[in-house]
Amino acid sequence: MDQKMDFNAPHSMGTTIIGVTYNGGVVLGADSRTSTGVYVANRASDKITKLTDNVYVCRSGSAADSQVVSDYVTYFLHQHTIQLGQPATVKVAANLVRLLSYNNKNLLETGLIVGGWDKYEGGQIFGVPLGGTIVQQPFAIGGSGSSYLYGFFDQAWKEGMTKDEAEDLVKKAVSLAIARDGASGGVVRTVIINSDGVTRNFYPGDQLPLWHEELEPHNSLLDILGAPEPMNI
Amino acid sequence: MASNSDLVSDTQRTLYPYVTGTSVVALKYKDGILMAADMGGSYGSTLRYKSIDRLKPIGKHSLLGASGEISDFQEILHYLDELILYDNMWDDGNSLGPKEVHNYLTQVMYNRRNKFNPLWNALVLGGVKNGQKYLGMVNMIGINFEDNHVATGLGNHLTRPILRDEWHENLTFEEGVKLLEKCMRVLLYRDRSAVNKIQISKITEEGATLFPPYSLKTYWEFTAFKNPTVGAEGSW
Repeated sequence: MDQKMDFNAPHSMGTTIIGVTYNGGVVLGADSRTSTGVYVANRASDKITKLTDNVYVCRSGSAADSQVVSDYVTYFLHQHTIQLGQPATVKVAANLVRLLSYNNKNLLETGLIVGGWDKYEGGQIFGVPLGGTIVQQPFAIGGSGSSYLYGFFDQAWKEGMTKDEAEDLVKKAVSLAIARDGASGGVVRTVIINSDGVTRNFYPGDQLPLWHEELEPHNSLLDILGAPEPMNI
Repeated sequence: MASNSDLVSDTQRTLYPYVTGTSVVALKYKDGILMAADMGGSYGSTLRYKSIDRLKPIGKHSLLGASGEISDFQEILHYLDELILYDNMWDDGNSLGPKEVHNYLTQVMYNRRNKFNPLWNALVLGGVKNGQKYLGMVNMIGINFEDNHVATGLGNHLTRPILRDEWHENLTFEEGVKLLEKCMRVLLYRDRSAVNKIQISKITEEGATLFPPYSLKTYWEFTAFKNPTVGAEGSW
């Protein structure tokens, strides 16, 4: 590649992020690639960030912008929880995210998916795209990789999935997006939130299905050729 | 996105819209106002959201329909919530009618335009108070007017001509709905941001009614559609 590598390009999380509700809670999923121009600055980032014990956010777009918004919201929610005397609701968390995104829409470039569980409304997912619109959805997709998933979700999404069905759907979807989006890659991380608490999972490439034109990975050609060949000079 | 002048002087400049709603169409009929909009929220050319509510009742006497940037519409709803709350707190038996709400919105929109920080919307405000029907429109540059039928966006070009031909005083509810559906069907055929999930709302002296979302049937059975290049192979 004769391209000049711009190491000063802003860190952008190309990204694929997903949030899905199921009967009992939510499953959040994301890839793990952070790029600086064409260079992959971090191949194992964690884009699913805790806002409170029961609410997490998936971050996409500018890494810096999404981190600073998460940090502010975590700070405000912490104070709010102390004052309220009980866990914050998902709606409040999502609206705080919206306020920051909307009121700073000139400065920020970040699309977020807020997901969590509270005792009043159960599992909820809120999308907060560029511009600061807030929209509650049964499932949400975001980031550059999501372009490749609209058709997939139109076909594969169903109401009332179980926890395992939902997590499988998320894993499959992120993995499909990674296959086609250069700005998404690395591992698939999922976070499941329900009344029992939070479960973090980690799926490297070898634990994900293979798609069209993808081959089984091997350590070496030599393994494929079978019997070890001595060197012939 | 962020430029040096934004960070230094803290001024905001004209923005661009991200998640947008397309046309709203409304007309006066015998008992009040009928308004229609689809439930789409487009993100550029992607039809990203398909269940966005773009028609909202305001107070007891008005209906607001919005096209343009959805986040700005959501902010306008917050402002109106406060306006109606303060109106109720007076507890004086009076309530803001559609004319007053339209005027308030016009002030907000024009002032924001003057500060080069517009709310990127075109709004339709309709309602009935004391038997008086009112239907008006205001957009992001502060242009506002009232009429017997209004539309935003592509609706202005595609549906106003139909309404000019077919609208008359004292339409029944059924005639009004059929007319709006004719307009929405044309938009579905010819507006690429249209989504086939529409909401119709009505407002009368009794109050606002929001009908459930539904889809329109479309017609494709013209012979010319089935065989468009008969007699002219290679044409489109």
